[in-house]
Amino acid sequence: MRIGLLTEGGYPYVSGDARLWCDRLVRGLARHEFRVYALSRSLRQEDEGWMPLPPQVTRVRTAPLWTAVDDGAAHGRDLHGRRARRRFTEAYADLARAVCEGGAAEGRASRSRGACANGCAEDGVNGCTGDCASARPSGRTGDYGDDRQADRFGNALYALADLAREEGGLGSALRSEGALRVWERACRTPGTVRTAHGARVGELLAVARHVERALRPLSLDWYEDAELGAVDLCHATAGGSAALPALLARHFSGVPLLVTEYGVPLRTHYLATADAPPAVRALLASFHGRLAAEVYRRAARITPGNAHVRRWQEHCGADRAKLRTVYPGMEASRFAEVVADVADAAEWAGSAERAERAERAERAEPAETSAPRRSEPGGAARRAAGAAATTGGTFEREAFEREAFKREAAEREAAEREAFEREAFEREAAEREAAERESAAHESASGAGDTLVWVGRVEPAKDLVSLLHAFAEVRAHVPTARLRIVGTAAGAEGRAYLEHCEHLAARLFPDDGHEDTRPSGDRPVSFEEAGAPDAPDLAAVYAAGAVVVLSSVVEGFPVSLVEAMFCGRATVSTDVGAVVEVIGGTGLVVPPREPAALARACVALLRDPARRRRLGEAARARALELFTVEQNVMAFDGLYLDVVSHSPRRRVLVDDRGAPLPFGTPAEARLPGNWTGPRRPLRRAPLWASDTTTPPAAPAQRPEPVGEGAAR
Amino acid sequence: MNELHTDPEATGNAPATRGRDTGTSSGTGIGTEASTTDGRELATASPASAPGPRPGTADPVKALMNRHHDLCARAVDHLEIAAGLEAHGVTDRTAARFRHRDVFSLAEEMYARFPRDPDAPPPHPAPAHRPGTGRPAPALLALLPGLLCAATVVAARSTDGRSRLALAVLGTLLVGLAVRTLLRRGPLAGPHRAASGTRGWTFWLLTYAFLGDGLLEEGLTGGPDGPWSPATAPLLALALACAPAVWCAGLFTALSGRRLGTSRALDDFAASARPVLLGAFTLFLGALLGLLALCGTLLGEHPAYAGAGALGALLLLARLLTAHGFPHAPAVALATAGAAEGLSLATVFASRLPGCSLLSVPVQTVTDAWGAGSVPALACGTAATVLLLHATRTLTRASAHAVPHEPR
Repeated sequence: MRIGLLTEGGYPYVSGDARLWCDRLVRGLARHEFRVYALSRSLRQEDEGWMPLPPQVTRVRTAPLWTAVDDGAAHGRDLHGRRARRRFTEAYADLARAVCEGGAAEGRASRSRGACANGCAEDGVNGCTGDCASARPSGRTGDYGDDRQADRFGNALYALADLAREEGGLGSALRSEGALRVWERACRTPGTVRTAHGARVGELLAVARHVERALRPLSLDWYEDAELGAVDLCHATAGGSAALPALLARHFSGVPLLVTEYGVPLRTHYLATADAPPAVRALLASFHGRLAAEVYRRAARITPGNAHVRRWQEHCGADRAKLRTVYPGMEASRFAEVVADVADAAEWAGSAERAERAERAERAEPAETSAPRRSEPGGAARRAAGAAATTGGTFEREAFEREAFKREAAEREAAEREAFEREAFEREAAEREAAERESAAHESASGAGDTLVWVGRVEPAKDLVSLLHAFAEVRAHVPTARLRIVGTAAGAEGRAYLEHCEHLAARLFPDDGHEDTRPSGDRPVSFEEAGAPDAPDLAAVYAAGAVVVLSSVVEGFPVSLVEAMFCGRATVSTDVGAVVEVIGGTGLVVPPREPAALARACVALLRDPARRRRLGEAARARALELFTVEQNVMAFDGLYLDVVSHSPRRRVLVDDRGAPLPFGTPAEARLPGNWTGPRRPLRRAPLWASDTTTPPAAPAQRPEPVGEGAAR
Repeated sequence: MNELHTDPEATGNAPATRGRDTGTSSGTGIGTEASTTDGRELATASPASAPGPRPGTADPVKALMNRHHDLCARAVDHLEIAAGLEAHGVTDRTAARFRHRDVFSLAEEMYARFPRDPDAPPPHPAPAHRPGTGRPAPALLALLPGLLCAATVVAARSTDGRSRLALAVLGTLLVGLAVRTLLRRGPLAGPHRAASGTRGWTFWLLTYAFLGDGLLEEGLTGGPDGPWSPATAPLLALALACAPAVWCAGLFTALSGRRLGTSRALDDFAASARPVLLGAFTLFLGALLGLLALCGTLLGEHPAYAGAGALGALLLLARLLTAHGFPHAPAVALATAGAAEGLSLATVFASRLPGCSLLSVPVQTVTDAWGAGSVPALACGTAATVLLLHATRTLTRASAHAVPHEPR
């Protein structure tokens, strides 16, 4: 199968987003052929070059998204002819109208009005609300799911794409004064969202520039038959601009589309443009919402990276039937060593515990044996009664039996309860004892008895301040507790934050004058640089911690949490982003921004090594099931086959005279692997097939990536 | 540990810690999380410390709206509130405490309930300004070409012979470098490359301003019979005029940027930007003429007001247009002016060929009437006028003032 992998600021570039995931995907699916179509985000990104590409990547095309393709003429008219310009203005005006008629807010209002009209009389007569509720489909259609609006936006988009294809690009038309006039007119039309109605010229300008940038993929030449037209499936690795070429490939050549989103473009957009004027935010939010809705509408499958993304997608109009959550995969092997260590320690502790249990069993002998003994008579009576009943009983006997049975059951129950309680009490005591011993064992095995570990990128969103305050409380309960903060500061803001945290740590845990005599490892809080050459391996860091803590207030997919799970560590994390979904009950979760709750959870785990171990093992099992690279790659492999089998490309091959060639694309062309390749002499294709399979539909496979920048 | 704390924050923590201690001893402090034996554990905070609704408040969402007042006030739809709430750590479980299914429906309620005055004007956005206008460096850097040129002139005047030539060449190179740096940043810098040939024609026009008038006069009187005196004053004035050029361009950018923020319609903007453009242009022209007069007096030369003034105007307009993304018209204008000057020189010398005497008639007529300086004045003046007309049409468009936001 040939897959077109579409990225934006991503895969082949060394500094790209999600490049590791894409690299693993491409390498993991060696039996498919990949063509990479990449939009670069900045000149620096282009200069930094590509990652090494595996041979199954047969073609790489890149295009800059950061600069207009035709630089010199910023305002020249590239669209030749009055007709082309008029077509552009019409299509662009339609697009602008669809955007201006509102995003989430207005769409919702109009939809509820529509539901009213469907279900019942218009002016809200009796029973309207009930009918309206039932008129809505059970799954929400989302805020951008209004069909008429979506059609309008989509049609305008494809009209622009058609024009761009015929004219060889829209050129500077999107930047022209004419485009601005289109926006002005659209904003002044009645029915426009309120905030955009009074948009100033500067705001119109900002909107037009942003939309121009987002629509740059329209002018690319990627949609020819030999390019995206020749792939079996487009896999967009992100929404937004990356998915736009895939939409157009679907429009021009009917290539099915699979969209993977590990973040929500619309949400990112809201957060990124928080300081823009309201009109700009309203219009751009509407534009991105409509674009996302169109992508979701046309996609054959949508794979959100976690439930949080999934919810946003549903709100943007994604059909639930198309959604398949595929968790990002992570390399588990580098933590295997740690786990082996932990397993040893656990076994050690486990054997100690077993010995302890045996001991306890001996001690508890009277209690445990007394229970069955006490229930013995009842059991005998029942057996006797049973025997009597089988030998042919009377009514009285049955009544007596029932009575005896009841009494006996009550007796047994009381005895069992008593035994259970005693046993539970003893078990608890024994466990506590065992735990103490085990913690000693653990400590001797890894020196980690009371160390909390935090790993990640230092930035304000991680809320290390809360962590430090929480740790101060932990120290009040567990005076020997230590906290290791391992991470790198991200950017200037991150460095400032790190400095702030260090000051806070120095204030919360002042030196007691023995600083010189104590080794640095004995300080209560240590800050370590993760990227430094002498820094310990991440796996070792996790291994050295008793509890791994995550204190973020904002989090997407918590990588450090998954790593800790792979290491079999008990975790305490804040309830943000995808944390609950990832941890799934195999660790403690506390509300964000609450040092007290965090401290309580940490202390609870520090004092209970058995629970720590239990949680750690469960976490590791969960991580190995859900978050490995293999599951990720296999999930996509299955999705590829699924999508292609449901929407196969129907290519009609023509011969030299333009007549269609029947059976030009044999069925096995859809099968993975090179079935018709020369390496499989046993499965030789018949003559009629071998003549026609290779040429137009499947052009010769080029081992070297071609395209712009391939010479680099 | 507690008694070592001296700062207020830490001492503020101490009672809380002690309170926790008592709680722990009674067995309620730590074991608040629901813990079961199968490993599914989830800590729930005690209600008193949770950011959720306080027990007793009748309207918990209102408290939340007050806390996120700014977010609600600036939100354009409920999804923006949802995104903002999530960024503040509100999750579906938090939303459940407000009796909502998820953050989205909570955000929807907050958006719907937040009072909005439909007639209230939107908060005034900060005027968009191009990168570089706010920096003081280009403003001071703009003085550099003039100062370098002045130093070169002084040095060249005080020396003689070969060293004079070397100094002049060195000075020219330095001034060129300074101008180049100046055009790379500040208000005269643009994201768009100038069309090919612009630089060459500019250099030719400047050379003509330096040597051309003298050569033309010599040519008309049968010379040149030896080295003729070059005109230093116009060049020095033009170099010094880099500073007012940058300042005027900055003024134009700043003022039109402010107009962008206030204009309601594109036509309004065009109408209000035109006087700004003309004003800035006039200001520059005035400054240039003043500098010409000053240099003429200082150097004791005739200040070629018309020729150098027209050239300065032409260069400024060409640069403004190029910087705003219209590189073609300036290229054509500069080439036309340069070609006209070259042609006039060529006709003067070509008229010496037998039978070609008629060729020099136009130039002769013009110079007879207004002097040798009228040739560049006419050539550059015409080109500058055309460019000015072009600029009043193009530079007053809003699309010419887009802030380039591409990261490089």
